[in-house]
Amino acid sequence: MKVTEHRRRILFAEDDDLLASLLNFRMERSGYNVIHAKNGKIVKEYLSKSMPDVIVSDIMMPYFSGIELIDYVRNVLKSSIPIIMISSAGNEENVLNAFKLGANDFISKPVSPSELLVRIGKALNN
Amino acid sequence: MKSQNLLSLVSRLENELGGFSFEELTAEEASNLKSAFTSFKESLERKVNRQAVSTLSLGNEEQINEGSFPTKKKQLKNRSNSKEGALIATVSHELRTPLNGILGFSGLLKESNLNTEQLEYVDAIQSASRNLLDIINELMEFSKLSLGMEKFEQVDFNVRGIIKDVLYLCNTLILNKKVSIRVNLDAKIPDVLIGDPSKLSQILLNLIGNSIKFVETGEIVLSVKLIRKSNGIWLEFIVTDTGIGIAEENLKHIFESFRQAEPNTHLKYGGSGLGLSIVKQLIEKLEGDITVSSKVGVGTSFKFILPYKVGNALNLQRGTNNNKYEYTDKELVKNLRVLVFEDNLLNQRLIEQRLKSWGCVRHITDNPLYGLTILDNHQIDIILMDLRMPGMSGYEVTQRIRNSKSDHIKQIPIIALTADFTVQDKEQGDLIGINDYILKPYTPDELLSKLVKNKRGEQITFNGSSKVQNSSITSNSQNGIVNMKAILAECMGEIGLLEELVQLFKQNAYEFIGKTKIHLKDNDFNGIEFAAHKIKSGIAMIQAHTLHSIMVQIHKCARDERDITKLKSLYADFILEYPKVENAILAEVEKLKNESNGA
Repeated sequence: MKVTEHRRRILFAEDDDLLASLLNFRMERSGYNVIHAKNGKIVKEYLSKSMPDVIVSDIMMPYFSGIELIDYVRNVLKSSIPIIMISSAGNEENVLNAFKLGANDFISKPVSPSELLVRIGKALNN
Repeated sequence: MKSQNLLSLVSRLENELGGFSFEELTAEEASNLKSAFTSFKESLERKVNRQAVSTLSLGNEEQINEGSFPTKKKQLKNRSNSKEGALIATVSHELRTPLNGILGFSGLLKESNLNTEQLEYVDAIQSASRNLLDIINELMEFSKLSLGMEKFEQVDFNVRGIIKDVLYLCNTLILNKKVSIRVNLDAKIPDVLIGDPSKLSQILLNLIGNSIKFVETGEIVLSVKLIRKSNGIWLEFIVTDTGIGIAEENLKHIFESFRQAEPNTHLKYGGSGLGLSIVKQLIEKLEGDITVSSKVGVGTSFKFILPYKVGNALNLQRGTNNNKYEYTDKELVKNLRVLVFEDNLLNQRLIEQRLKSWGCVRHITDNPLYGLTILDNHQIDIILMDLRMPGMSGYEVTQRIRNSKSDHIKQIPIIALTADFTVQDKEQGDLIGINDYILKPYTPDELLSKLVKNKRGEQITFNGSSKVQNSSITSNSQNGIVNMKAILAECMGEIGLLEELVQLFKQNAYEFIGKTKIHLKDNDFNGIEFAAHKIKSGIAMIQAHTLHSIMVQIHKCARDERDITKLKSLYADFILEYPKVENAILAEVEKLKNESNGA
């Protein structure tokens, strides 16, 4: 068994704890290392110390929105790490903004965990 | 005087705010916040000064009156009481406006980029302001009562339902405490009583809320007993807690206005000291009586009795006709000729499958114009219409059908299929002649009961309330309220995770119930919108369609229309529906658990 094999890390920012628990479980089940952040502040703190392999973030987040997060990653950290946004219905404008600022993909609520996993896999292979 | 009390409350707030300098927060909102607070304070001072003047002039009036009419001392006292009430009503009202400014701007400030320390300060401002708002709201309530402006109802209501609602709310208050709430309900109490349900829940909320405030760990017990007297039936309520207790010398002042058990109580527990006085007044106006007993360090017990009459379930305003029209008999739709306008292939196949299994005659199309020609060439009994179709919307198609030259076609019942719809959609739909609605995704039972209900000659019109949810509530069969199987599949069959999610869902729902109650009181639409947003996806996850449609409406209303009356009624709908959903969840999880154990 390759226990020491590097597990890909997902920084997962979602303040809805119900959705977060389910997605957390599914991502970990699929062999990812998940760092769950409940708000944008924790995301920023983590990113200042370490860079994951992919970021999955809700657009609507307290303190530091998903949009600000993309801006921060692309323009301050100058990183091209894949970013997948989670958006809720009626947030089309935000989704457009997110893409403009450099988001790679998005999935809308209600999130299907299986679909998210496919999108994560795709983002990591590109 | 009471206004002096208010002033001292304000200076208390100022002291709390004074602990740090606003200039620390460089954001522009900080100065706005400060000016809002100043204007608030000035407005209060102005009011208090004006009071001194108006008391003088009113005093003169009184002397004139006294000259012309012989008045008793007691009447005089009542008059001055009511003047005080009127003054408090005005003052409170004017205080709320700048306070809303403080709350609003500090909310904005919180959303800007603040560091942890600054965030703490803003939170402190917000919590102090909210406390003050609570106090002002209580003041208004109190003045309304002493002015006799409060209205009392005599309606049929479900007393167990009221107690259950109160408990749901109280459970939201004890989430972070080691406190449990227990209820002993006398089985002899009739289900339906005549009286004022909202006053009863106000009294209970106040008393239990009061207990929660003063109990750190332990238990609060609500006992309700039926007492038959010669003059009718009475309910005796006892709220007992294991809190800090009240010393005997303070006990006799407990119901006085602006009085708390000890002079420094507010320092630790906050509050205006009006809550219990309001409770006592309410109970007396309802012709009941309240007493209190307490022991320091052991706990406090409030006992009150209220008179009621036995009511009739048929007169209940809400939730009475919920289960009347539930059909599950497939025979009733056999050979029914159904035309379906639906552009989504998957949905087409689903409907086709279901209609086929019931023996319906089916015409399914994704082309609105082609669908209209089917109407001309075939006998159709009922139409299912997707509202969102490309090209021509369901509304347009409906309009064309209703404008048809053929009297027969004109009157074919149309049921709209829609994934999300608002009250406006419903209004528009009603206007152009849509007969009923099915919210997607729906269960086969729902579809079946809608078909039966709307088929010609069996149309049922709801009298009175034309609320959107009525239609969906009626069609929810007991086991269709939620769908936990789908979510268990997403959990890859892990029952433990499912139970964890259910726990989170319950917590979120309680939080929503508690927070929204406060937001409704404060007219805080952003707060409601956010709270609704937070819980919406969870409700979608468990596929609680009725609850979800209520929540979608709450969210939209808080965001767009901002109609507080409507939100209150939607909130009441939520409170009514939520217990059903929770019960259904627990029952289904239990079932799934047994199934997985058996497997």
